[in-house]
Amino acid sequence: MRNTLLAGLVVAALFVAGEAQAQKKTLTIGMGSADAGKLDPHIASTTPDKGLLQYIFNGLVRVKPGQISPDTIEPDLAESWESNPGGTEWTFHIRHGLQCHWGYGEFTAEDAAYSIKRAANKATSSYSNDFSSVVNAEAVEPYTLKITLKNPVAGFLGYVANINGGNMVCKKAAEEMGDGFSKKPIGTGPFMFAEYQPQQYVRLVANKQYFRGAPMLDEIMYRYIPSDSSRDLAFQSDELDMIYGKQDQSWVDRTKQIPGVKVLAMEPGELSTLFLNITQKPFDDIRVREAIAYGIDRKAIVAFKGAESSREAVSVVPSGYLGTDEHAALFPYDPAKAKALLKEAGYPDGLTIKTIHTTLTGMQTFIEAVQGQLKKIGVNLDIQLVEHATYHAQIRKDLSPVVHYQAARFPVADVYLTQFYDSASIVGTPKGVTNFSHCNVADDEIRAARLETDPVKQKELWKTAQDKIIKAVCGIPVYEQLQLWAWKDNLDLGYDLKGSLNLAPPVTEKTHFTN
Amino acid sequence: MTAFVIRRAFLAVITLFAVLTLVFVIVRVLPGDPAQLILGDQASREAIEALHVKLGLDQPIPVQYGKFLGDALRGDWGVSMVTGQPVLAEVLSVLPWTIDLTLVSLALGVLMGVPLGVWAAVRRNRMVDYLVRVVSLAGLSFPAFVSAIILLFLFAIELRWFPVISARKGSLQAWTQSITLPAISLGLNSAAYITRVTRSAMLEVLSEDYVRTALAKGAPQRIVIWRHALRNALIPIITVTGLYTSTLIGNSVLTEIVFSRPGLGKLIVGALNQRDYTMLEGMMVIYTLAVVVVNVLTDLAYGLVDPRVKLG
Repeated sequence: MRNTLLAGLVVAALFVAGEAQAQKKTLTIGMGSADAGKLDPHIASTTPDKGLLQYIFNGLVRVKPGQISPDTIEPDLAESWESNPGGTEWTFHIRHGLQCHWGYGEFTAEDAAYSIKRAANKATSSYSNDFSSVVNAEAVEPYTLKITLKNPVAGFLGYVANINGGNMVCKKAAEEMGDGFSKKPIGTGPFMFAEYQPQQYVRLVANKQYFRGAPMLDEIMYRYIPSDSSRDLAFQSDELDMIYGKQDQSWVDRTKQIPGVKVLAMEPGELSTLFLNITQKPFDDIRVREAIAYGIDRKAIVAFKGAESSREAVSVVPSGYLGTDEHAALFPYDPAKAKALLKEAGYPDGLTIKTIHTTLTGMQTFIEAVQGQLKKIGVNLDIQLVEHATYHAQIRKDLSPVVHYQAARFPVADVYLTQFYDSASIVGTPKGVTNFSHCNVADDEIRAARLETDPVKQKELWKTAQDKIIKAVCGIPVYEQLQLWAWKDNLDLGYDLKGSLNLAPPVTEKTHFTN
Repeated sequence: MTAFVIRRAFLAVITLFAVLTLVFVIVRVLPGDPAQLILGDQASREAIEALHVKLGLDQPIPVQYGKFLGDALRGDWGVSMVTGQPVLAEVLSVLPWTIDLTLVSLALGVLMGVPLGVWAAVRRNRMVDYLVRVVSLAGLSFPAFVSAIILLFLFAIELRWFPVISARKGSLQAWTQSITLPAISLGLNSAAYITRVTRSAMLEVLSEDYVRTALAKGAPQRIVIWRHALRNALIPIITVTGLYTSTLIGNSVLTEIVFSRPGLGKLIVGALNQRDYTMLEGMMVIYTLAVVVVNVLTDLAYGLVDPRVKLG
């Protein structure tokens, strides 16, 4: 009896050991949201959705995995491309033999043309503005795509890269499914959509026909875990291999203590800006705006937010973009000057200004720090906290004279400048996006730069635009928040991770576990 | 009995109608635009207006209300504005998780709460009583999400007995592993509640003449307490348990979040954050129905434990 038992135990132990030695082939990622949104790459705008969709889709070109700079743009579905000297006609040569997921057939120039038109259509895309210059996209030959533009577009390749509207969908699948496409997104990427369990996970499986080779992983489990602490605990109990961090320094410090874990503050940074409505009292007086700018101590904010996870703003456009003025003349911290300016503007005893602000923790701690700094120059910042959806609605109705907004619009300065500072984007207007300050001082430069084909002149125009905006104090850029992630060090990503345009680390065909 | 059910059903319809109207108005009065939230912050005003038309939000409010009531009458719950999935399908996909958790934690609450309450009442003002009272008060004041994190830390991280992501299914073992910690976390709270009600109901009954008479004629104490006294104390306990069940269904959202379980609570909070009007409206019908059903069941239970209660 005892012998049988012993033998049983040995067999069981061997079995367990055998299992442990088998190569781990499933990557489980913990994302900080309660559920998936619309899983359509041309609509998805949140970090969790974009992060997932990047595993399913490709662009015509791509930014090298782990990098974010447009200088690293390399072939993706298109193996080569060229444009006419004016930059208004682009020809892309699509690879042969690309396969759409789940048997939706070969991906050809026809699909690429369809995808561009879909991304440019405001009924099917959140990114139609990005393609407003596109006149036509057509398959001139089965593997040759021609895109015609109204005018040259700065950094055009960035718009057909593997992000937002640049993601290439398969025509047959998108047409067949219509609105249902977001329930089963079909692309050409290394992983294919397999299953969605509401509030739990999306499961992706390896695309064995992937053109760069079959992925080394079999599966990605993309889990939705909204609680920061639960994500951390599940990471510690080895139920998750990679997690989206709580976006603050204390999380970095704590997570670094766990053995066998890599923690990274990843590019791109999201720039926190205070937009001042220049059409409303008291900000219609530039002296008041300047006073606020002098009253903000960027260094202290970065010290408060954490040196590893944040950095000082360099300009009204985040650092590292094509066209960012990395040494812009931002206002220095000078509380004495701020007080003097307020006195000159008729506020010797200071004043109270209102801001409607979201209750998102990371953003809220920042505005409270700003409140503390402004108190020193006699400005009482009245923070009216509302939940996030209300905040988004109210700041678009000019109800908040100061708007704190956090955003990344990588990789070209044009997008940031257009959406936040071109007068065509003033909130409430038909083309309105996020120009909360009603800024209109740099329209000429922003628009001219968009059409400029000479890169040197273009950079000049962008620099002038940034100078003007800073001088007019439409917005006060303060700090950049990096994206915090952690993963187990037995996970080899297969590339060097510095950042990700899609805000979550890419998983490529080379990503695998080492034992 | 039949008359009772018909009357209750009629009242339920009126309640539902009132709730639907209220919800319809409230979600539209709330600031926040579903189209903006769906399209994200880079969408232009034009794109948002286009989505308004698609979602029917450009129509005058009375027209929207008329359509909404018409659909509701036909039993058409519509599709979620955010995911495009039918509301009913979304609800049904997570409903089993909520029912599981509610029933198991309620059972835990009753199984722990009733005996503890009886025990404390019988030993009134003795050590046991004080202990039960203090512990149940602590249990009531302790937020479920704090106990949840402590449970996870102890049993999932230190001891590794249970998973952190408590959403496994497929086998009895997986199910048990997933439900134990969440049910304890929620159940402790309801146990505390039920203990206190049981204790005070029992105290009242124990001072009745018939209890003294029963004891005087020599009935064993065990029988007097569990058969004579408890049965008479059951009505308030059932009332409270019924009321608590409705709260459990609604209050489980924090437990769902901490234990990464799907459920109605998360669904409704998500719908609220996204201003998913159709989803919110559908959810409210479900909640109202749940409360109505629980109340009817509670009333029926009265008749079961107390022959004097006539439903009709």
